[in-house]
Amino acid sequence: MDMQTMQVGPEQRDVWYYRAGQGEPLLYLHNMLGLQGFEPALARLAESFDVIAPFAPGWGPAKDQLPEFDEGPLDLTLHCCDVLDALGIDRAHVVGVSIGAWMAAELAAIEPTRVARLVLVNPLGLWLDDAGGEDPFAQHPGFPSQALFTDPDGRKRHLIEGRDKVDAHVDELLSLRASAKFLWPIPDTGVKRRLPRIKAATLVVTSDGDVIVPAAYGPAWRDAISGARLTTLAGAGHLAELERPEAFADTVRAFLEDEAIAAVA
Amino acid sequence: MKFHWFNLMPWPYLPDDFTEKHRSVWVDVDSRLFDPVKANRIYNDYLDLLELAEDVGYDGLGINEHHQNAYGLMPSPQLMASTLARRTHKAAILLLGQSLALYDPPTRVAEEMAMIDCISGGRLISGFPVGSSMDDNYACGVNPATLREKYHEAHDLVRLAWADPDVFAWNGKHYKLRYVNLWPRPIQTPPPIWIPGGGSVETWDFCAEHKYNYSYLSFQGYVRGAQLMEGFWRRMEELGSDFNPYQAAFAQQICVADTDAEAKRLYEKHARYFFSRCLHVYPGYADAPGYRTEPTIRAGLVSQMAGQSSALNQAAALSWEEMIEKGFIVAGSPDSVAEQIEKVATSLKIGHLVCLLHFGDMPNELCQHSTRLFAEKVIPQMRGMWKDYEDHWYPKPMPLEDRAIPRQVTVPDTAEGREMRLKEVG
Repeated sequence: MDMQTMQVGPEQRDVWYYRAGQGEPLLYLHNMLGLQGFEPALARLAESFDVIAPFAPGWGPAKDQLPEFDEGPLDLTLHCCDVLDALGIDRAHVVGVSIGAWMAAELAAIEPTRVARLVLVNPLGLWLDDAGGEDPFAQHPGFPSQALFTDPDGRKRHLIEGRDKVDAHVDELLSLRASAKFLWPIPDTGVKRRLPRIKAATLVVTSDGDVIVPAAYGPAWRDAISGARLTTLAGAGHLAELERPEAFADTVRAFLEDEAIAAVA
Repeated sequence: MKFHWFNLMPWPYLPDDFTEKHRSVWVDVDSRLFDPVKANRIYNDYLDLLELAEDVGYDGLGINEHHQNAYGLMPSPQLMASTLARRTHKAAILLLGQSLALYDPPTRVAEEMAMIDCISGGRLISGFPVGSSMDDNYACGVNPATLREKYHEAHDLVRLAWADPDVFAWNGKHYKLRYVNLWPRPIQTPPPIWIPGGGSVETWDFCAEHKYNYSYLSFQGYVRGAQLMEGFWRRMEELGSDFNPYQAAFAQQICVADTDAEAKRLYEKHARYFFSRCLHVYPGYADAPGYRTEPTIRAGLVSQMAGQSSALNQAAALSWEEMIEKGFIVAGSPDSVAEQIEKVATSLKIGHLVCLLHFGDMPNELCQHSTRLFAEKVIPQMRGMWKDYEDHWYPKPMPLEDRAIPRQVTVPDTAEGREMRLKEVG
């Protein structure tokens, strides 16, 4: 799967993205570490949907765009709208993981007409004193994203293997830098006040092995979004789509295709 | 050549099992290990040592900033500088320094430095470090992704606030001030600016551009320091900057005794306290994502893969002789220390030596001994070094005869004096 590029918005900002599959459009917003290619979970979703997976500004090839994004929710939401506009898509399902789930929630709250159904997997953006969560930015610099995986070899397998070691490690640190820009020092983005504005049918997914967003956050997200459902994936850490690609894709697809959910006008 | 007496002000009561029972000396260090009653003596001992350093002839009195750190008891170096400004009269006040991005508005730093410069009669050296990740990002919560742009904006604002006599508006990205109008203003226009750094290329370019002193502060000693400083001087040459040793400073742990054997007997355990307990930092706090720039990350990864340890406390496992050989510490009789200091000065080509003569849990009297020996028997041997260069990075104070003379402490430092003082305060 080759990466594509396009220019979006009034500034004609470069966007690097993957796109595959047919069906209803599905905008995928990636986790704290960006995209590891067109990941297996996305390929599985592309069997049923037109999957569009862009690098967010600040990640991967868009790393140098980070300084332009100082107004987190507003800038990021406008950017998502620019991406949809550039592709001629009025309305899409939006699936976000980790920090991407926060961006997805902001988009659905600020521009509700652009989001058909919403899936938030291990979403960052709320902070509960009692639930806490491991600090993703205070990890050993030699293996800074290890805590995102349940598998002790997860980081090596998903991020490093098959790549130049220095390049892979630099990418990892720059992805965490981009995440830190929006989540430092406590991942409370203020989205809580906006969640009641979400109109899309919403599924919140937590992973039973996620130490970054412990399962206790699931009910908080569900309760803040009108009519939202909550489910849990077993055997996965914060990056459920990398560690359990099939269960992840099947959970997402089942929700997006669930005919029992009434369409929102 | 110039010699500055510098003290990190460590907490000297970390327990013997500190490194086993605690994960870090910094950021989340157990505050129950701090005892404010003991701190009364510690702070005053440390300030006494700084004042003594002026009496015996050091050129500058060095202080710095750390937060939530058991080896650095100075969250506010300004507080230390302000008392030194009153109680000393000759030495430079080497405030090394204030992490600009921690203060909003950063004009607060410009104001406080101006106050110290006024009180001291123009003896301030103002250090503007970016600051460590532990201090800036973890202890003070500054976002690592924007720390450097904030730092540079704060620097530009402080410089303009010192220089521009008119009220101006500052419409920056991180700071917006409708009315900038510094009052008071520093005597020196501006005070000499030193940039403490740990070896990033961007900092070197910044020093070259603004003609600032680059102060390499590490605990790795001069042997490793020489490699890094070679890179610094090469870069300065590339940028067309004329060589002047006074444009660079280096911090070095030093201890002096009557003989080499005596030095080992007197100081080894205090050096060990420093290298093992004080530098026991949880690696997860060393380097927040975004704290280092991409070129610095790449350079660091390449050197790590070449087998170079980046651990702060790597000296802890060495023998005393190895610590000296590898330059982590300069130690011995006055003559062997002078010989080592000459190596430091010539291999690093530095005109300012920041002498860490107090380290770890060294008691006051012992530190006085070392401080005096260094001043009396080592400094005179080295004074003439770099005599052909002019030092543009040292304060130019008011003439002594024009300066205010602070009221002297009238209670003598004796048992009777203590009695008098106790009666006075009732």
